[in-house]
Amino acid sequence: MDRYYKKRLVPLALPAIILFVLVIAIPFIMGVIYSFTGWRGTYFVGGENFWESFVGFDNYIKAFKTKKFIDAFIYTIKFTLVAVIVINVVSLAVSMLVTYLHKAASVYRTIYFLPNLLGGLALGYIWQFIFEIVFSKILFSEEGVVSIPALCNMTQDNTKALFALVMLFTWQMVGYMIIIYTTGLNNISSDLTEAAAIDGANAWQRFKSITVPMLMPSFTIVFFLTLSKCFMLLDQNVALTDGNFGTRMLAMQILRTTRDSSPPDYGLAQAQAVIFFVLIAVVTLIQVSVTSKKEVEV
Amino acid sequence: MSMKGRHKAGQIVAHIALILISIYTLAPLVFLLFNSFKSNNEIVESPIAMPLAWTLDYIKSAAEQINFIKAMGVTFIITVLSVGLLILISSLSAWVMVRSKTKMAKVLYLVFTAAMLIPFQSVMYPLLDIFEKMGLKNIPGLIIMYGGFGLSMSVFLYHGFIKSVPQALEEAAIIDGANIFQMFFNVVFPLLKGTTVTVIVLNGMWIWNDYLLPFLVIGNRDGVKTLTLELYFARLTAGQYGNPWELIFPAVLVTIIPIVVLYIFLQKYIVAGVAEGAVKM
Repeated sequence: MDRYYKKRLVPLALPAIILFVLVIAIPFIMGVIYSFTGWRGTYFVGGENFWESFVGFDNYIKAFKTKKFIDAFIYTIKFTLVAVIVINVVSLAVSMLVTYLHKAASVYRTIYFLPNLLGGLALGYIWQFIFEIVFSKILFSEEGVVSIPALCNMTQDNTKALFALVMLFTWQMVGYMIIIYTTGLNNISSDLTEAAAIDGANAWQRFKSITVPMLMPSFTIVFFLTLSKCFMLLDQNVALTDGNFGTRMLAMQILRTTRDSSPPDYGLAQAQAVIFFVLIAVVTLIQVSVTSKKEVEV
Repeated sequence: MSMKGRHKAGQIVAHIALILISIYTLAPLVFLLFNSFKSNNEIVESPIAMPLAWTLDYIKSAAEQINFIKAMGVTFIITVLSVGLLILISSLSAWVMVRSKTKMAKVLYLVFTAAMLIPFQSVMYPLLDIFEKMGLKNIPGLIIMYGGFGLSMSVFLYHGFIKSVPQALEEAAIIDGANIFQMFFNVVFPLLKGTTVTVIVLNGMWIWNDYLLPFLVIGNRDGVKTLTLELYFARLTAGQYGNPWELIFPAVLVTIIPIVVLYIFLQKYIVAGVAEGAVKM
């Protein structure tokens, strides 16, 4: 029987292999090679072909000397750090409330998931209105309900816009993460928590010693998803501030690099894209290995 | 207070908290709905009130401006074909990878899943370059690209599930004289229904709403644009002199209606699909 399948592995997997090679493998490898050349999109500096155009690590050195890139790099890290923490704290807290109310839970889950259906662009436009009109004119202005200057004109200031983006993205992502956390919480046998309660463990002790370790597989997934989605955020960034006030994140920076100079410097953009890949791969791999090591077998 | 009374009180507090969060979740969507029926002046003067009149004028003109019917058709075709391609190719290859148990199958699987770490931006420019040279900077090319980008996760999901499907049924089908495709589509594929739903939900949501890939591949060429792309360009053209809210709100509203309607009917499957997808990882 094994031979039967063995013979058919390549023919049946071939369409998938072709798609993968064409769309991912070749462009990825070419991208890495091109990052070491003077690629200008339609031609190569110094020759007809890419091998006549090698510039060594020049594009990488240039990338780290490009202020916009460094700013985008730092802004992305700051955003990811804040957003991952906020999204996880909020969705875990809400998930615990939802699982606490067994029956009614599904209604809430359905509502919270709604924002996830919309594209980042559509969401960004709605929230731009909320930040610029609802927050800045009605709720938090001097004539508003309560005067909180920090919540006014959030899309027009570098730091405020970071938190605006966190608010928007939390609003969008929480519903998705709740589904994962509630699934994980429902898998924890109530025997464990009840036994601990009888032994005199208080709520915090039960959370720390039972819920958290038992929920580790969910943490692994949620951290992975939130980390990678935050790093790669683009649409919301475009819609909310379009990168103004130094709010460009890395994904947008790579996209706009080719518009920042004339002729467009694709070699530089590609070097930034490779750095972007390394950053995401390293951070998420470390995260997955750390959190999955903490998973407990039952 | 008795144990039961405390539990009751706790439940009420939990409900209040969750209802407040529901209001926070729904408020932006309610603004969206209300403001889709207002003029620019009315939106700016009373941004969170109900509209004075429920006129459909703004929705009609926004729908016209973004070529709603056509754009929805284009988006629908792209999404359905991409997801269909993904289901077919990834289920078949994941299945044969699980069953053949060779070193090559393992290496293939590893390469496919490792690619989940590659962000789109890292392949974007060379990809467009290649597809342009192949004459595929168009909708068929876009569908192929979605097929490639969705592959990693879909293969991964199918692979995880197929491992738990017993092989005995397949052997019986071969003894009965079925060829490999008959066996796959009649015996194996129906068993993968749960995973197929997950693959449809996760990829469908992403492809339907995607902005960047259509922007790069189709761009501002007249005629064929996806909904998100129409929205982007409508906002861009009208937004040169301030924010044209009376266009943006109804335009956003009509672009999200199809997917919200789908969600209302299929929410059970969508939630199950997301949960399933997460558990597999």
